[in-house]
Amino acid sequence: MSESARSEIFAKLRTASRGGSAEAIDRERQSLQSAPAPMPPATEVCEAFLINVLKNRGSIDCAAGRGETVKAVAQYLYQYFRSHRLVAGNDPRLAAMPWRDAGVLPRFGGIEAGEPVALSFAQLAVAETGAIVTYTGKANPAANNLLPQHHIVLVDRTDLVATQEQAWTRINQDMEKRGRPRGINFIAGPSSTADIEGQLVYGAHGPRSWHVILLGDTPADILARAHSAVT
Amino acid sequence: MEQRSNTFLENASEALKNTEQAKRRDSMARLTPLLRSAAIEDVGDFESLRQQMKQVRQHSLDNLDHYLTQFEQEAVHNGNRVHFARDAEELNSIVLDICQQHDARRVVKGKSMVTEETGLNSFLQRAGLDVMETDLGEYIIQQAVETPSHIVTPALHKSAEEVRELFKDKHDLGPRELEDTTDMVAEARQVLREHFLKAEVGIIGANALIAENGYSMLVTNEGNGDLCANLPKTLIVCTTIDRLLPRAEDATAMLRLLARSATGQSQTAYTSFYSGPSRDGDVDGPQETHIVLLDNARSEMLTGDYREMLECIRCGACLNHCPIFTSVGGHAYGWVYPGPMGSVLTPLLTSLEQSNALPNACTSCGRCAEVCPADIPLPDLLRDLRHEETREKLSPSRWRLGLKLHAWVSQQPWLYRALTATIIPLLHLMGRRRGSFTRLPFASGWTSERNFPAPQGKTFMQLYKAGMKKPNE
Repeated sequence: MSESARSEIFAKLRTASRGGSAEAIDRERQSLQSAPAPMPPATEVCEAFLINVLKNRGSIDCAAGRGETVKAVAQYLYQYFRSHRLVAGNDPRLAAMPWRDAGVLPRFGGIEAGEPVALSFAQLAVAETGAIVTYTGKANPAANNLLPQHHIVLVDRTDLVATQEQAWTRINQDMEKRGRPRGINFIAGPSSTADIEGQLVYGAHGPRSWHVILLGDTPADILARAHSAVT
Repeated sequence: MEQRSNTFLENASEALKNTEQAKRRDSMARLTPLLRSAAIEDVGDFESLRQQMKQVRQHSLDNLDHYLTQFEQEAVHNGNRVHFARDAEELNSIVLDICQQHDARRVVKGKSMVTEETGLNSFLQRAGLDVMETDLGEYIIQQAVETPSHIVTPALHKSAEEVRELFKDKHDLGPRELEDTTDMVAEARQVLREHFLKAEVGIIGANALIAENGYSMLVTNEGNGDLCANLPKTLIVCTTIDRLLPRAEDATAMLRLLARSATGQSQTAYTSFYSGPSRDGDVDGPQETHIVLLDNARSEMLTGDYREMLECIRCGACLNHCPIFTSVGGHAYGWVYPGPMGSVLTPLLTSLEQSNALPNACTSCGRCAEVCPADIPLPDLLRDLRHEETREKLSPSRWRLGLKLHAWVSQQPWLYRALTATIIPLLHLMGRRRGSFTRLPFASGWTSERNFPAPQGKTFMQLYKAGMKKPNE
């Protein structure tokens, strides 16, 4: 690196800056106004999240316990691929699932060429944007989000937050405990493009389909309510 | 990229002759404002959201040396190598050096207007590297050897038919026909997937840099930027020194406005934050990461009269709402950034001499300022640039003489009133029958395209003196 470029640029920036102390700058930043998040499409956070996933052109499902979860995954695999194979990161929460009960054969690790389906367990999810959040690492290699044709994501109801600000509070807490992950990925839909005549096409480079399964106690009719809110 | 901004009028006339492209721009200009306004309504309080973002951006720029220092420290702590580039040439050579250090042959790139600005692709290609754009729009225009016509949808000017022909020409399709858009996207996906898997170096831009933790933020819909950031062994992030935000939470205001303003989505499919090289135990990710921070006139803008332009978040809303851009398209502007934001940026990043036609490509309708999520007073900045143009005698002498004459007459009330009191009744009499003129001396520029309405009989001052505040009563 040219040290002179760095010092020349900083010299110019110093003449333009206010030159306050770090404390004064921090105080000023704290005093900046905040703006409200957009109105959620439903008052109940689970419902708002599922509605926004649908708006992002994802598909949705719910599962109360582990047994139901593996069954939901098995059904999805069978519906689209007549298969019981998928790849998942080395996430202890996924390893602990009773896959055999539903006849699913997961391979744990990073996705390899030709594998069509990957499963991720989200660190958290954001109702405001209908986004799921993963951290890169052993538990969820980045390529597993990007290279499959179908990406299935499990979200624990207790990891669901209402707004993006709340998401960052959670992420910052995780970083304090476990250090900074290499990548933090907010995913809100299948990969898409409108670069040819403005026509929206799914599956540009990443997954063509994005399926979100919400785990835990949710109202019995929540899927129906979410679908009726979007159609 | 060779600049041809000063032939804007000629470029524009040429562009208007291409009626097929004009039709596509028209449909874009009808549709995108509708998508945007539906998405903005969904936010509820657009004004307080954009004021929040403006405050955050102003605060970041007011203290840019502080936040840039903090970012650099954190980014280095995260394992990055941070480079500074004063101008386009420095950025290009830094990137080439990194590629050569790794004996890299193949580079994949995410969409980056900054590297369009520096002409990085052709620089790397001249040095023998295989550089592949991976955003579908950028890939299309790279294959067609053209330049972007829009900052968000770079291949806006291409028809599906042209893309089909291009792929037939460049790809080995065999008997496949690529009937619809889905087939073409699938074709590009397949071709580019190979490049992602083989490339040694990935290059991406950044929508923001987070000072508190050294992360860079990347916003895409295709996921191509993320593939560039995760698959090759070396990652280079190319961005500019002004993209700083103090904290990750501060990105939320920007994110709430960016996709809504650009495409009408509440959030793009992929919003990613990358901190550096892969960690122990990681299965994938680059082994080495570099961040190249370009100045290229930003530090001058920071101290100058056009500082607000640094608050731009590159959403493209001003392009989609501009009557000039939607009529003539991006190529007429003759450089990297088109539309209202481009007409301000181009003179500042290149020179007013090379681009003084652009600040005149404005009807002062104000739509760009109305929709700008960063609340940048674009029409005011364009007017200030026109002032400078006149002051520096860059505009044609006939224009300047005309303006001077107009200004002088306007400052002599007796003369102005005498002239209008003579001309207005005369024009009223002449145009009484038809109500308008199809031809007028000294106004052929107006009447060649549309009729000039005939005055209604009296001047404003005459009506005012007669005590008629409402002429119709």
